[in-house]
Amino acid sequence: MRMKKLTLTLVAAAVAALFAGCQATAAKQESATAPAKMSATKMAMKTAGPAPLAPLGKAPIPPDNKLTPEKVELGKLLFFDPRVGGDASTGCSTCHEPEQGWAWAEDFSRGYPGTVHWRNSQSIINSAYFPRQFWAGSASSNEKQAKSAAKGGVAGNGEDDIMEARLALIPEYRKRFKEVFGTEWPIIDDVWHAISAFERTMNTTGEHEVPLDKYLKGDKSALNEEQVRGMALFNGKAGCINCHNGELTTDLDFHNIGVPPNKRWEEDGLAQITFRFEQYAKGQTEKGYRAAKSDWGFYYRSKNKWDKGKFRTAPLRYIAYTAPYMHNGVFYTLEEVVDFYNRGGVDEEGRTTLFPKNKSPLIKPLGLTDQDKEDLVAFLEAFSGPEIMMEKPEQPPYAPLFNMAELKAAQEAK
Amino acid sequence: MGVRVTTGRTLLAAVMGFGVALSAQAAEYPAIGKLPQLKINNAKAELGKRLFFDKRLSGDAAVSCATCHVPDKGYASKEAISPGYPGNGHFRNASSLINVAHKKVWNWDGRIGTNLNDMTREMLTEDYTMNMDMRIMQERMKQDPVYVQMFKDAGYGEPSNGSVRKAIPEYMKTLTSANSPFDKGKMSTSAKNGMKLFKGKAGCIQCHNGPLLTDQKAHNTGVPENFDVFLDPMNHQAFIAFTMFQGIPNYMNLKRDPGYFNITLLDEDMGKFVTPSLRELKYSAPYMHNGMIKTLADVVNFYNQGGGKDSNKSDLLKPLKLSGKEKKDLVAFLEALSGNKLTSDKHVWKQPYPAEYEAIANWTEVPN
Ligand code: HEC
Ligand code: HEC
Ligand code: HEC
Ligand code: HEC
Repeated sequence: MRMKKLTLTLVAAAVAALFAGCQATAAKQESATAPAKMSATKMAMKTAGPAPLAPLGKAPIPPDNKLTPEKVELGKLLFFDPRVGGDASTGCSTCHEPEQGWAWAEDFSRGYPGTVHWRNSQSIINSAYFPRQFWAGSASSNEKQAKSAAKGGVAGNGEDDIMEARLALIPEYRKRFKEVFGTEWPIIDDVWHAISAFERTMNTTGEHEVPLDKYLKGDKSALNEEQVRGMALFNGKAGCINCHNGELTTDLDFHNIGVPPNKRWEEDGLAQITFRFEQYAKGQTEKGYRAAKSDWGFYYRSKNKWDKGKFRTAPLRYIAYTAPYMHNGVFYTLEEVVDFYNRGGVDEEGRTTLFPKNKSPLIKPLGLTDQDKEDLVAFLEAFSGPEIMMEKPEQPPYAPLFNMAELKAAQEAK
Repeated sequence: MGVRVTTGRTLLAAVMGFGVALSAQAAEYPAIGKLPQLKINNAKAELGKRLFFDKRLSGDAAVSCATCHVPDKGYASKEAISPGYPGNGHFRNASSLINVAHKKVWNWDGRIGTNLNDMTREMLTEDYTMNMDMRIMQERMKQDPVYVQMFKDAGYGEPSNGSVRKAIPEYMKTLTSANSPFDKGKMSTSAKNGMKLFKGKAGCIQCHNGPLLTDQKAHNTGVPENFDVFLDPMNHQAFIAFTMFQGIPNYMNLKRDPGYFNITLLDEDMGKFVTPSLRELKYSAPYMHNGMIKTLADVVNFYNQGGGKDSNKSDLLKPLKLSGKEKKDLVAFLEALSGNKLTSDKHVWKQPYPAEYEAIANWTEVPN
């Protein structure tokens, strides 16, 4: 008994010590979960300060999924085809709607029919750059992300075998999969390859370059005065750069910035169902399942209690089109977001994360003036360029695989 | 969707193969007679009834068990090929569920030989039947106060997917033959003659015996393929998904239902199906695993010709040379095995389900 108590106290002390210095804590967690290379970068950051914002380069292309125009075209068809899903009603584009910023313009994403999602739908624009996808970074590539999206119970709810079987009965897909992947029949893993290839072309580069990147490349006319002042705040007094930094506008790390739980969970039966389901789906213990009243974020993967309420620093490009904001969509405008940060990670009603102890010490009242706030919002708008639009491709039709003569012959041969 | 257990496959195959050999030789067959009474827990069965008719038990909340197992159609469906989960078709006739609790082997190919709990799991989770993630199902049940009370009353405590798979089988136990002229001993003369033929000249008893009128073993009777399985891509995709999952070789080119072959992967079992029960057939037309035979008279004609064409066909089937009257008598006997429809409140949940899920009050205060 005594022994147990003693160890407990020691653990508590150790945890408290961890909370004392956030940088140290962050570095520690990193080394526990990420390869050594990552912590080296972290160490460098610690001494040199955060990496400055930099223009977006080319999207990385993994060697085992080279881009070809044919593959991208196939991936586009599949991205827009709801037959890649359980009841052929809900495909990728259903929740990543081009006209809604390639996301879904409600706090929680729409779900598979009969359900609602429990997180905000992220834009697929620039997703190719992120080795950690989803709000809590649980997928390490577009390929892995697509697979879990198509199969998840409140997303695509599709099974491999039925999706593969469907594609085999669509002549256009048979032809294209054969051309692109050389297989006689479409194979489900190649569906994820093709969709990922398509996503890797959906970036804010080239004609869709954002004003900030133009500015960073030397075109000083790309930002107006207000935005230039906003940039100074972003990099200085407002401290946004501490997390939203470098080429990707994110440190790809996990932080609790104080986002309060979405009130819909208190009022909406359907949302309550998904909330509890997700606790199980994300591997909660019985105890955690009973207790959870907000999204525990990165905790579901690390199982460290100090990770409760931490999410991947959200990238900022293209956000002009992707409201509402945050993992649970609690803020509908960038003004609200800036006010939230200015209050030190607290919303209009004084609500904040259910895990205040885990809140990043970098999040504190900023003392921004009204002018500052306007400038900062103006600068956030410079992270978005022209809207990326695309005509939805037509769904290639089904056709029977066998004709009557073949079936009769088989019947005769029985 | 479930994980197939190879040992299960082998075991089942061994048991069934042995049985086929036996029944071919034995001269005496288990007597046709009344079905034994089943003990039923009313609270559990009542819960099972509400679940059976509830569309919220499917992935997109669009189909219930009763969508395919229709009370008015003898708990089968009127289509030759069963409807499928939205976005899908099916490749087999929806079996009648009357007396299903008396069976030991389920599905037309007999792939489930354990219990109705496993059968229910398969129906709930299979892509082309209900496509349900049972963790979501469980949370849906917890969100409906009527269920919360009913699970409690049934002694299950909190709603769980495990108890759903117990309550529905308990309900299925209530779907039993009632009042057939055969059971009441009130058959017409024609039906009585038919029964003699059934046991004698027509040889039906060789496979259709015992109180359920089935040996529950697999035979090839040569029922022709239903081409709609292959000509309608909705059906064909379900068939492909099924045969792919079952590990049938060359499934993309398959142009016939492999039946029991699916369990043994032995050529000799190609096209065999488990003998169905002959009770309560009056309402469950069309007949056979693929609904290829429309009426009982057509079934009798089929057997009179010695069954269909298949190199693998059972030796027990030979042309019967039945007269017109004999055929009528046989049909009369088959009809005398049906009682009243099970369509009253006793078997059918007729109260409406809530249109929306009620929110749990003071959600932030109460444990999930
Ligand atoms: C039912 C709605 C829904 C469907 C269908 C859906 N998604 Fe998503 N998507 C979401 C939501 C919600 C998130 C955030 C989920 C999370 O973090 O847990 C997301 C996240 C993503 C991300 C992560 C982006 C980032 O920055 O990390 C990508 C990429 C993505 N989806 C692509 C796809 C693809 C490809 C498909 C089709 C195979 C698909 N989605 C289907 C709703 C959906
Ligand atoms: C401690 C690290 C950190 C700092 C400092 C920080 N952010 Fe964030 N930011 C995050 C994280 C983490 C998220 C995602 C949080 C969530 O979803 O719950 C986020 C989300 C956002 C979003 C929403 C993006 C979307 O797609 O929903 C915006 C906008 C944003 N931050 C702007 C800012 C601004 C402006 C500042 C400076 C005032 C700032 N951030 C400071 C970590 C930080
Ligand atoms: C979309 C249509 C559909 C739905 C929904 C459906 N079934 Fe079925 N059911 C079938 C078909 C078709 C078969 C025959 C399958 C086979 O032989 O491969 C079957 C077979 C069965 C059998 C085996 C019968 C026997 O005698 O072998 C049982 C038991 C059963 N279903 C129960 C249920 C229950 C319980 C539910 C609801 C949880 C349900 N079914 C939902 C179509 C459906
Ligand atoms: C060799 C064994 C065997 C014999 C003999 C036999 N049957 Fe069958 N019977 C079966 C099998 C197996 C099926 C299912 C075949 C299928 O679905 O493809 C079946 C199906 C049926 C059905 C359809 C039931 C339903 O629910 O769809 C009826 C009716 C029937 N038999 C009646 C008879 C009659 C009447 C006789 C005698 C003339 C007879 N059977 C002889 C094995 C036999």
